[in-house]
Amino acid sequence: MSMIKIEHLRKEYPNVTPLQDVCAEVNKGDVISIIGPSGTGKSTLLRCLNQLETPTSGTVTVDGEVITDPKCDISKVRRKMGMVFQSFNLFANLSIIDNVTAAPVTLLKVPKEQAYREGMELLRRVGLAEKADNFPDELSGGQKQRVAIARAIAMKPEILLFDEPTSALDPTMVGEVLSVIRSLAKEGMTMMIVTHEMKFARDVSTRVFYMDEGGIYEEGSPSEIFESPKKEKTRIFIKRLKQLQLKITSADVDFVSFVSQIEDFGRRNLLSPRAIRNMQLCFEELAVQNILPAVGDEGLPVDITAEYSEQDGTAVMTIAYGGRKYDPLTEGDELSAMMIKKLANSAEFSFDKTNCVTVRFG
Amino acid sequence: MDIRKTNNGGKLAVAVIGRVDTSTAPQLEEQLKADYDSCGSVTIDLSEVSYISSAGLRVLLSAHKVMMKKGGLSIIGAKPELMEIFEVTGFSDILDISGAE
Repeated sequence: MSMIKIEHLRKEYPNVTPLQDVCAEVNKGDVISIIGPSGTGKSTLLRCLNQLETPTSGTVTVDGEVITDPKCDISKVRRKMGMVFQSFNLFANLSIIDNVTAAPVTLLKVPKEQAYREGMELLRRVGLAEKADNFPDELSGGQKQRVAIARAIAMKPEILLFDEPTSALDPTMVGEVLSVIRSLAKEGMTMMIVTHEMKFARDVSTRVFYMDEGGIYEEGSPSEIFESPKKEKTRIFIKRLKQLQLKITSADVDFVSFVSQIEDFGRRNLLSPRAIRNMQLCFEELAVQNILPAVGDEGLPVDITAEYSEQDGTAVMTIAYGGRKYDPLTEGDELSAMMIKKLANSAEFSFDKTNCVTVRFG
Repeated sequence: MDIRKTNNGGKLAVAVIGRVDTSTAPQLEEQLKADYDSCGSVTIDLSEVSYISSAGLRVLLSAHKVMMKKGGLSIIGAKPELMEIFEVTGFSDILDISGAE
């Protein structure tokens, strides 16, 4: 049975609607990474789950209880869901151990001595037992976040929600926090983690939600999402694709302007001079020297897409055009075709109502 | 693209600066043709050239054909990125090319 069921969840703000229609289920033991570009509602989704934000419409059911129902006792539900924030949110006036024991003692009525014992055990688990009597200001960011995790677990939640737990940390401290989260995953803790740490998301999750366009745009196992994303926006995000689109609309192409657009695109994205040159050669040798003269006005417009993946350093240029079937790699000028074929890793032509040449580099 | 020519007693030295592509190759061709009659040999310095396409290669090839009957054509100063183009097209086997120091 699902632990959390989200149905048609919608959250509107006066100027923006980050969540349009979200449906999802979370099962016990799931470790779900929520990834996606900024402003796509990742944090809003978590905050709607534990009612830090009130959804505009839709329902969230936790353990069979509809928590979006106004009659629901939300503080009881929140005890089932621990939350770890980007900015730690520790109580500055309480020692570390008191930060961890405050909620169990006041909300769960755990006897102080037992809470202390359990609290120390939790601090040991996150490697901070010797800091028990210190105050939050005396700790580094990474240590504070580990305390925040211990504090969340002290409430014995059924699920932990992490809202970008490492985004506010110095890069040197990200690892210590991620390793604590990793060990929780191993112990079978149910978790939802909004994160920008892609390698971590890939290693630790059982499922990945890619959020975009007001909802969960694509979901799957880590290998489905990271190795073979099915939808376009997921692919662009995962491969960290940078795209340049050029359109030739007249046989009288402004050659210099197109070449400098490719140059600018390459420099902006820190491509090597060689990669930039290869793309310019592709444009010149195939589109300008061969395709345009061969297919004439019938071939217009010629759509050129240059794509560069920051993830693996590969570049792909595709040239799509109309008109009769024409393969510049075999029917075009030999010198042009030879240059491209030899410089590229692969060069392919396909024809399915329209012509398309795909050239891969790097 | 910029072209600087000096004709020293029939030895024509041509320094090319910039890109040799579809839009600039005709200019280079014109400049070379203008001096064919008055020179015995041609040296083209490509040390300031960052890009050459097939349009530029064709100009070099036709200059090579003309100069074969005279004192020949040499290309000097080609940077590694240019040498790569000469090599993949087989031009390095046809033309007398030397790379940058």
